[in-house]
Amino acid sequence: MVTNDATILRIKHEVLYEVAKMAYEGTLEQGREELPFKMIPGPQAQFRCCIYREREIIRERIKLAEGKCPTGKNSKNVVQVISAACEGCPIARYVVTDNCQKCMGKACQNSCNFGAISMNRDRAYIDPLKCKECGKCSQACPYNAIADLTRPCKKVCPVDAITMDENGICQIDEKKCIQCGACVHSCPFGAIASKSFMVDVINMIKAGKKVVAMVAPAVEGQFGDKITMSSIRTACKELGFADMVEVGLGGDMTAAAEAAEWAEAYKEGKKMTTSCCPAFVNMIKLHFPQVLPNMSTTVSPMCGVSRMVKAQDPGAVTVFIGPCMAKKSEAMDLNIEGNADYVLTLGEFRALMRAKGVELKPEANDTQEASIYGKRFGNGGGVTAAVVKCLEEMGENTDINVMKCSGGAECKKALLLLKLGKLPADFIEGMVCQGGCVGGPSKHKTELEAKKARDLLIGQADKRGVHENLANYPMDKFSMHRH
Amino acid sequence: MTVTICIGSACHLKGSREIIKQLQELVAANHLEDKVDLNGAFCSGNCVNGVCVTIDGALHSLSPENTKEFFETEILGKL
Repeated sequence: MVTNDATILRIKHEVLYEVAKMAYEGTLEQGREELPFKMIPGPQAQFRCCIYREREIIRERIKLAEGKCPTGKNSKNVVQVISAACEGCPIARYVVTDNCQKCMGKACQNSCNFGAISMNRDRAYIDPLKCKECGKCSQACPYNAIADLTRPCKKVCPVDAITMDENGICQIDEKKCIQCGACVHSCPFGAIASKSFMVDVINMIKAGKKVVAMVAPAVEGQFGDKITMSSIRTACKELGFADMVEVGLGGDMTAAAEAAEWAEAYKEGKKMTTSCCPAFVNMIKLHFPQVLPNMSTTVSPMCGVSRMVKAQDPGAVTVFIGPCMAKKSEAMDLNIEGNADYVLTLGEFRALMRAKGVELKPEANDTQEASIYGKRFGNGGGVTAAVVKCLEEMGENTDINVMKCSGGAECKKALLLLKLGKLPADFIEGMVCQGGCVGGPSKHKTELEAKKARDLLIGQADKRGVHENLANYPMDKFSMHRH
Repeated sequence: MTVTICIGSACHLKGSREIIKQLQELVAANHLEDKVDLNGAFCSGNCVNGVCVTIDGALHSLSPENTKEFFETEILGKL
């Protein structure tokens, strides 16, 4: 997978692995002091200005791996900036490059509404004090000579939550951040990371608790076409989990509950949005609170499965595993009863496996807990397909108009239209990651890389319906609504 | 009012889930869903004093046994 932070991924994973190993062995107390020296032995610095800074960054990564804030910060945000790792990239956004021919057309100058562009001896010059960063000059230049130097972190943030402090160090505005994690792997210096529940999960397993893994539907196909949900269940058990449940089953649960809601809303002429993507829910809460009454009250697939597990055994500790970072913030919203106790990203799950010497081994694809609709919940359009299937099974009207949004920008646009009362569709399916959960920040392979294996594995599933599948589970023992 | 409860493993083993359940039920029974926001927090390193509960920056040490009393004095009493 090509990312902005390939080298850093190795270092990040190494830290997660070492911390997981120490947590299993119970040597974290002294080990956390020694690890920076073990990883950065010196005397030559490899990546940064000096080994002291490199070690400091490792120290901060260890803190995040343990679920703590970086030094000097005390915040609830899941996504955190490691200030020492931020290189403070250039802030002047539009810069004239060597490509400039200082042409006679002067399209750049003519396009600028703020008089920010003048001609230097050999190229155009943009006055940073006058530039409003509108981008018109960059679009106007026939030589593509004006580069857009937005910071990679700022560029990917769908809610404009990233700013810089007076030293040019990245800052996250926590009143705006929806915890989607898009910035994490966009930073070519690895300066952004998410807090981890990894050590907590290991401690729970070591304390002898019944810890149940709940694996996201988007994971199917991430490790090749030979690694089935059964393979992942075996690996979870080797790690010390009591069992593993497919969250695709929760997809079925959410679809059935949402279909009932949508059918009623459609008759009343009320527009509704989905509520399964935690970053989308955060986007509504923080940026479009007026739309909250239109948000489905159905809980997420993760919460549905967690409630089912807890209904069967109230002492069970539930741990969600998937490509999502925002799920960590959903687990921390304690206004929702019975939700997952902890959330691990796929990267953290791999670190756990490596620390325990567990490998994913090929196994027959013979334990199906979800319908193909629940399994596809993690794809853009998958929620709609599942809900429409349920409406069909219920004998309700299936001719509904859904605006399927994948990616932060599309979600924002649809919510704005809904807020203004101008939404042309009846419903909004909101997924903040591009392509749906399969495009999540902690994916192991991209949607395209995993597609073949994913299609093959899901293609092996039988064609049971959503309600038909749910008939096998104790749906009367717990609620599928927020309150 | 935001009530933050530590959900780290140390506090979990000291009964944070039981406290959360009690607080959820008390909030619902008193119809305070719009006034009280229950939030989780990662471990803040105060494990010896657990279960750690924070209201407006003030740290309290709770156990499942004194949760009801805490709710009455610190939450109901200060709304």
